[in-house]
Amino acid sequence: MVEKKEIEHLADLVKVDLNEPEKYIKQVEQILNYFNKLDHVEFHSDDTLGIQIAKDDLRDDVNVPYQDSLIEHLKKDQNNFIRAPKMV
Amino acid sequence: MNLGISATEFVSQVKEGTISVEEFVAKTLERIDKVDKKIHAFITVDSQNALDKAKAIDKKIKSKEKTGVCFGMPISIKDNICTAGLKTTCASKMLENFVAPYDATVTSQLKSEDAIIIGKVNLDEFAMGSTTEFSSFGPTRNPWNTEYVPGGSSGGSGASVAALECLASLGSDTGGSVRSPASFCSVVGLKPTYGLISRYGLVSYANSIEQIGPVAKTVEDVAFLLNIISGHDPHDNTTAKNPKIDYVKDLATGISGKKIGIISQMTGDGVDKEVASATNTAISKLQDLGAQCVPISLDAVEHSIAAYYTIAAAEASSNLSRYDNLRYGFDFGTEGYEFKAFISKARSNFGPEVIRRMLLGAFVLSAGYYGKYYLKAQKVRTMIKAQLDEAFKKVDYLISPTMPVLPFKVGEKIDDPLKLYLTDINTVTANLSGIPAISVPFAMSSSGLPIGIQLFANSFKEKELLQVAHALQGTTTLPEITP
Amino acid sequence: MTKIGLEIHCQLTKLASKLFCSCKAEYRNAEPNSNICPVCAGIPGSLPLLNKKAVEKAAMISLALGCTIPEKIGFFRKNYFYPDLPKNFQITQYNAYGPTSIGSDGKIEIEGKTIRIRRIQLEEDPGRLVYEGTSEKTMITLVDYNRAGTPLVEIVTEPDFETPKQVRMFLNVLADLVENIGVSDPYLEGAMRVDGNISEGDGNRVEIKNVGSFRDVEKALHFEITRQQSLVERGIAVVAETRHWDDARRITVSSRSKEDEQDYRYLPEADIPIVLIGNRSIEQIKTQMPESIVAKRERYIKKYGMPTQVADVLSSDRFYSDLFDKSHNETNAKEVSNIITTDLMGLADTREKKLELKITPKHITDLADAIMANKLTRNSGKSALHEMVKTGKSLADVMSSLDLGHVSDASSIEKVIDEVFQEEEKAVAEAKQNPDTINYLVGKVMRKTKGKADPATTLEILRKKLAG
Ligand SMILES: [Zn+2]
Repeated sequence: MVEKKEIEHLADLVKVDLNEPEKYIKQVEQILNYFNKLDHVEFHSDDTLGIQIAKDDLRDDVNVPYQDSLIEHLKKDQNNFIRAPKMV
Repeated sequence: MNLGISATEFVSQVKEGTISVEEFVAKTLERIDKVDKKIHAFITVDSQNALDKAKAIDKKIKSKEKTGVCFGMPISIKDNICTAGLKTTCASKMLENFVAPYDATVTSQLKSEDAIIIGKVNLDEFAMGSTTEFSSFGPTRNPWNTEYVPGGSSGGSGASVAALECLASLGSDTGGSVRSPASFCSVVGLKPTYGLISRYGLVSYANSIEQIGPVAKTVEDVAFLLNIISGHDPHDNTTAKNPKIDYVKDLATGISGKKIGIISQMTGDGVDKEVASATNTAISKLQDLGAQCVPISLDAVEHSIAAYYTIAAAEASSNLSRYDNLRYGFDFGTEGYEFKAFISKARSNFGPEVIRRMLLGAFVLSAGYYGKYYLKAQKVRTMIKAQLDEAFKKVDYLISPTMPVLPFKVGEKIDDPLKLYLTDINTVTANLSGIPAISVPFAMSSSGLPIGIQLFANSFKEKELLQVAHALQGTTTLPEITP
Repeated sequence: MTKIGLEIHCQLTKLASKLFCSCKAEYRNAEPNSNICPVCAGIPGSLPLLNKKAVEKAAMISLALGCTIPEKIGFFRKNYFYPDLPKNFQITQYNAYGPTSIGSDGKIEIEGKTIRIRRIQLEEDPGRLVYEGTSEKTMITLVDYNRAGTPLVEIVTEPDFETPKQVRMFLNVLADLVENIGVSDPYLEGAMRVDGNISEGDGNRVEIKNVGSFRDVEKALHFEITRQQSLVERGIAVVAETRHWDDARRITVSSRSKEDEQDYRYLPEADIPIVLIGNRSIEQIKTQMPESIVAKRERYIKKYGMPTQVADVLSSDRFYSDLFDKSHNETNAKEVSNIITTDLMGLADTREKKLELKITPKHITDLADAIMANKLTRNSGKSALHEMVKTGKSLADVMSSLDLGHVSDASSIEKVIDEVFQEEEKAVAEAKQNPDTINYLVGKVMRKTKGKADPATTLEILRKKLAG
């Protein structure tokens, strides 16, 4: 059972204000119940897929300044800083 | 002038001088103007720039300058792929005014081959959905019947090609997002092997499984586009360093002597009757061409939806964290807000499906649940890939209907997310395992709605996959939308 | 018994580029948000590109601390919202599922005590917040992302320290070690940051964060130990919590911020493939490792007979030991080490002064050789060094411009001595009676020659004249 408190906790983790938390409770619960199928799968391997790269193929340590002034494309404030809300 | 020609035909007609690029692009823009009110495939149309480019390319051709292989072909791009100077909204209020400062690798590849980016097309918000109804800017409608959904999330790509509003499109496929609209709109759509095409500039939704994929009228066109956009990209460490392949060459090789596995789990229960019968017809046509078809069981497919949505939700919740409206986004000042209150308010502009998936993602990743959900979902991927590897020892290709159902009406499934998720049962396997899959338009239902057939091949076997798709395409003649 | 563990964040300041993009790793003194690109600013669609050298340097630190390096390493996302994080997650490493971090299970001996290293991981530094405004009402937060994406190595120890003094010694060794490997300048502002955790007996663990400089670590630990011990004495249980070091008041303060008990929802960073390091690469990195401080110290003592103290000082400083290794030869090693440890280190006793030195190995070689060949007194040598360090001019130029050449020919010295004999009749008479006062006359000769007269020759002639 998913409760309102839990939905609100999840909403806090992903930082959204839920206008109608109730609306999400039933749907999230229904989907999580479906996900519980995974509990009944019998696995014969603990391996996970995932691509690999050899260390030597990684990017060389070279400084190449970005050719454009990126801050000009962003919401800039005084002295080219980005403005953030108050921190408490 | 016929806007219904294929991209490949367009190129040869331009080369022959029977049509001018400017004329074709102008007609296409007129067409968009006329039909897109009803279809709503486009979020942004870049008319002036498209016409300017068209004129410039005509001039290049006239003066016999070297011209890119696209020769001014009008192409639409899904609005989650970055285009410098043109808005990239992801169909989200969060990015309503976002203009990417750079081109995605696929965008610059197309531009350098003289394709014309005619506009940006609609999608479910951040590509989360399979109907394009979850766009914050309103749904796209199926050109074959505007009461119906076009599939999704690349609904704008499928619809814009089907409605003759462009010659081809780029979409992205995370769980079927290119193939579903291809099937519902009666066009061809390819989900390439993970790592074949650069994701640099594709706004991430579930980055471990998604790929950009071409949507076009014919298999030839898809092969043509793949030649341009595939290959290793130094900006994307997940792209493979394989030798360049010409996908157009030998496309008509045929499939005589090939073995095709019919996936039991995707063709049995739960498949619409008309879809099932079209699939059977497709199988017998392929047999007529000399292929041998055998049933193949992939029992891990049963867990694929749960695994897919666990992974997609988990990755989405992390990928979408960056939208806090501090650096870019929409107009909403920070004055008077404390940090948490500000971002929570800004982020409540995400639509309900995005919020739902973020909540699910937070849940499956939260302390204590990682092993129960995310890790098991990852193991399902391994299991599916292992079963596919076994299958591909016995057969060259796999086949299934792309969608188990016919296109349904706008609004029909929007309130039942799980039911909607379950319609992805045939498409998510390719994403979880990384293998390529293509949807080929094959039939029309009695009610005039498209049915697509899906073919799979093993990783990086796109050339062979396009050959079987080409063969299947040759067995059927489908109606064209009349302009 | 007190148990202290540490988490040290060390920036790889010597790299040319950031951890995942080609912006500069050295972000200091740049205009706000001028050292950013789509990757480090978290622009949608951008992808991280891992820096090869960062992996190699982190592997070197791991090896130097006796850690095991796995064949494959992986990256994870640590999810939390903060304005200094452009993506609202930090790309880091994690040792719970799948591929692990670059180093684990190491140990290092500090004065006979073994400190175990739990793990070493590579991660990105966040941006920098600047607070402006005087009151809480007018306060605004500004963000500069120039630092975002700077490569960091996090070193986590087991709680093996018992005293703040051991911590300080460990940190000094660690700072010398990363400097010696050539990955970091630990004395740059913010280049090395330390968090600690402390518990008394079986009591709860308290985390201490926000210690600005690592010189303050010892103070913060002392304060916290005293605080916990006095709680225990009064029978009050220590609360498991995070406390911040208040730099102004010199105390630790409980931080009620919820951010510290976050659920970080780690997940694999799929944009960075699993990196295959492999045994061959590890062996290769081992061969590229610079000589360790311990080995260097041994070499200095064994090969050159340096006094232990001189060898200690020289080997633990990468800059000076490099200078030594490049300027000495079989014959002048002792003189070179003298010049560096007594004269040069005195001239540059701060980091800033060290950076301004215009000294090259050739300067030191020339100087040592000149002194040994009696062309320059040690005293004049000091003046010459001072000048070379300031101007970068060659020894020959400096000697002629300051007129420092050694006067060793007997006739010139004799001339000077004759002058002194005329001026100092009384002293000469006294010296004839009492040879112990001869030094006064030597001093006079030196003053007249500005220290250039060869002391031995001077003494010899003086003695002869006094006797005659
Ligand atoms: Zn950067």
